[in-house]
Amino acid sequence: MSKILLVDDDPDFCEATKIILESKSYEVSIAYDGIEGWEKVRTDRPDLIVLDVMMPKKDGYEMCKELKTDQEYADIPVLLLTAVAENVPTTRYTTRMGMEIEAEDYIDKPVEPIELVKRIEVLLSK
Amino acid sequence: MSQETNILVVDDEQVMRDGCKRILSKRGWRVTLARDGQEGLDGLKNDHFDIILLDLKMPGLSGMEVLKEVKRIDPEVLIIVITGYATVDSAVEAMKIGAYDFISKPFSPDQLTIVVNRALEKKRLEQEAELLRREREKSLQDIAMEKSKIRTIINCMAGGVIVTDRESQIVLNNPAAARMLGIHDTHLAGRPLSQCIKDEILNQLIGDIFTCNNSVPSILSRELVIGEKNITHLRAHAGPVRSDEGEILGSVIVLEDISHLKELDRMKSNLIAMVSHELRAPLAAIEQQLMVVRDGFAGGITEKQRQIIERIKERSDGLMAMIRNLLDISKIETGQIVQKKESINLNDLLRSVSELFTSQAANKRITIRLKEGKGIPLIEADQSTIEVVFNNLLSNGLQYTPEGGSIELKTTLEGDYVKVDITDTGIGIEPEELPKIFDRFYRVRSEKTRQVVGAGLGLAVTKAIIEAHLGLIEVKSEIGRGTTFSVLLPRQVEGPVA
Repeated sequence: MSKILLVDDDPDFCEATKIILESKSYEVSIAYDGIEGWEKVRTDRPDLIVLDVMMPKKDGYEMCKELKTDQEYADIPVLLLTAVAENVPTTRYTTRMGMEIEAEDYIDKPVEPIELVKRIEVLLSK
Repeated sequence: MSQETNILVVDDEQVMRDGCKRILSKRGWRVTLARDGQEGLDGLKNDHFDIILLDLKMPGLSGMEVLKEVKRIDPEVLIIVITGYATVDSAVEAMKIGAYDFISKPFSPDQLTIVVNRALEKKRLEQEAELLRREREKSLQDIAMEKSKIRTIINCMAGGVIVTDRESQIVLNNPAAARMLGIHDTHLAGRPLSQCIKDEILNQLIGDIFTCNNSVPSILSRELVIGEKNITHLRAHAGPVRSDEGEILGSVIVLEDISHLKELDRMKSNLIAMVSHELRAPLAAIEQQLMVVRDGFAGGITEKQRQIIERIKERSDGLMAMIRNLLDISKIETGQIVQKKESINLNDLLRSVSELFTSQAANKRITIRLKEGKGIPLIEADQSTIEVVFNNLLSNGLQYTPEGGSIELKTTLEGDYVKVDITDTGIGIEPEELPKIFDRFYRVRSEKTRQVVGAGLGLAVTKAIIEAHLGLIEVKSEIGRGTTFSVLLPRQVEGPVA
């Protein structure tokens, strides 16, 4: 079954999300910042990465940029968890600095469980 | 002349004296008579005369001598010499030493009058000239004082002042201006403006002031960035300097240092971003966990528990919305509300926004209907803020509509605007409340609205966003029946239609 890596600094959010994804039989591993995240990427090689943008040490922007420029891991789909606007779907994400981060998908947190699952299914089917 | 004209007649012949007095008095002039030169000179000591009629051929002190003496005593008196029969030589001689005019015997009364009038006219003109000269002297002195007063004033001003001529050469400046521009020399007069202010657009706009007389707005404003390492932010206000006749003589530029304002803005943005994250992150975690429990992922729950959790989530959504509204308010205050404009299909946008509310609507058994108009043109707008607009309006609709009601979103084209009507079957708004609902922090407080979450910022933010897009928002309502909010947004010029 597909392996999902969840990188987010909020342990409660991580636990809740893990429960949702495991109910759909995904294998979920958690990292609390970008550095831990990279370790897990190298050791586990997940099929999908759910990545929060705001984290200490190494945040989502940086990690995403690094993943996408690294030939070995660029093909792993990334779902960015953003804090742009409450409950508003966005199809592209522009940071405060105006840089566009290229991930496969973006979703705002908090996210309805059904919505989250649906987006992940779509990303994994590609 | 405010005083009476005073004439002295000096002639040894009685007939002459009386004759002259008779003729001149008729004109209202005061005439004094003297029998000879000495009497005449004595008369001068006691009185001031405007004109002296002086006979040249007199016994005792001759006319010429009297003339010289008079000239010495009162150089301003105009002397008209009376010459003998057909002798012009002596007249010329007299004029060489200061006589103003001459009249030769015999002369008619008219001739005498004319000559005296001429002399009086000259006096009058001389006096006027003297007055003007004194006035001018005073004015020049005043201007010099004014100029130095003005100089003192502008030199003391904290703001920078630069005055240029029509060729954009600096003619005047104060030390503050030089300092703000990072120029060591305090005197910039003589330099071209473009050498001191390197902003092309400002120089261009100022040049335009000189070329097109009236079509340029009276004062233009522009922000400047000075320096590379230690950056200074300035705001320049420029306008024409006109003469009394309205002709443009040059320009005046006033500089304001806004670096501290920029710094405050930057600090505020940073603070806001930080606060935003610190408040939102925990709420996001709270809501995620609530959803996990609500949907049974953490084990079975009773219907009652599900309802309570749904209610908790609603309150928490309200907090999220309030945080976002507060952030939007501060963005509005710093003019950052419209970030990036692109072509947007309102039908699509409304569809995706309403989809977000399906579960919330389902909980109150409220139907959301979309009536997508045909041929609706695209609009040019900042997507995320327009989403906020309809998010707020739809959220309000749901809040204020009781169970079993409905909300309809309709799009139509109205002239150059795309109109979106959001109609609910809610509790409605009282007519006296209607004008206040767009005010910040205004909330309708009644028994029916106690359960409503929010600080009263949603509509204020909504209106500000719409207006920043040059659109309009209107509201119609009927108590107990419902409310319709109409949003009009300008259509995109020359764009495809939806």
